[in-house]
Amino acid sequence: MPIDISDVNEKLRRITLTGRLDVPGTEAIVIKFAAAATAGGRRVVVDLTAVSFLGSIGIRALISNAKAAQSNGERMVLFIGGNETVAKTLQTTGIDALIPMFADATEAEKAALN
Amino acid sequence: MPVADLVSELSIDPDSSQFRLASGWLERAGRELGIPTEQIARLDVCLNEVLANVLDHGGASARSAPIGLRLARKRDPDGADATLTVTDAGTAFDPLAVLPRSRPQTLAEATPGGLGLVMLRANADSLSYVYAEGRNRLTFGVRWSGLQCSTQDPPSVR
Repeated sequence: MPIDISDVNEKLRRITLTGRLDVPGTEAIVIKFAAAATAGGRRVVVDLTAVSFLGSIGIRALISNAKAAQSNGERMVLFIGGNETVAKTLQTTGIDALIPMFADATEAEKAALN
Repeated sequence: MPVADLVSELSIDPDSSQFRLASGWLERAGRELGIPTEQIARLDVCLNEVLANVLDHGGASARSAPIGLRLARKRDPDGADATLTVTDAGTAFDPLAVLPRSRPQTLAEATPGGLGLVMLRANADSLSYVYAEGRNRLTFGVRWSGLQCSTQDPPSVR
């Protein structure tokens, strides 16, 4: 489960996750993901466009990191592009109402920095 | 009258390192049984949540014996369905008896846990559970229309 961390500028960080966020996939990146989402004093866009499977363990990681960012006075949003599988899972579980979710990358970045 | 079940079975060790093996088997066996891709994907979500639940909540007994997987597909005049039965030696647990949680309204209210059952219920068209001979037996199923299965069935079962 690859994870790529890219600082867009001094205010914004993009975290790109690829592959399956199932139990083994999430366990492989959960520590690095948490550190990247909450350190650095930047707002965060999590790019889920290349995630092929999203299980509840992956959603728990998203919630935990979004809450940690919020408690630090930061913000984490999700960029899903046209990923219908991920969109459906986030909508089914109601997570789209808790963590802002965007199909457009520019809108996601604007919302993160707002 | 339903056509006789087409069946594929697998036994895995009770370890999360086996989850990908189980998903790979489901994808291959599902294709061989003529289960549409989108229905295999729904079964895969359910399978991963059920397996995670077994290891998280089944106790030491869950890790003492293999987990059995049985995929069955059958047709009837209106369409077809596929069921996946997971058997494990963990503590008796009936997920159908668990009341659905109310959804949190804010991120601050959100707590980890409980989402697996939400996803199981959302992706399965049928659910059944029995506990017998020291093993949980949970079956979840998906159903699709006759139009779908007429184009997806393997030649041997048309």
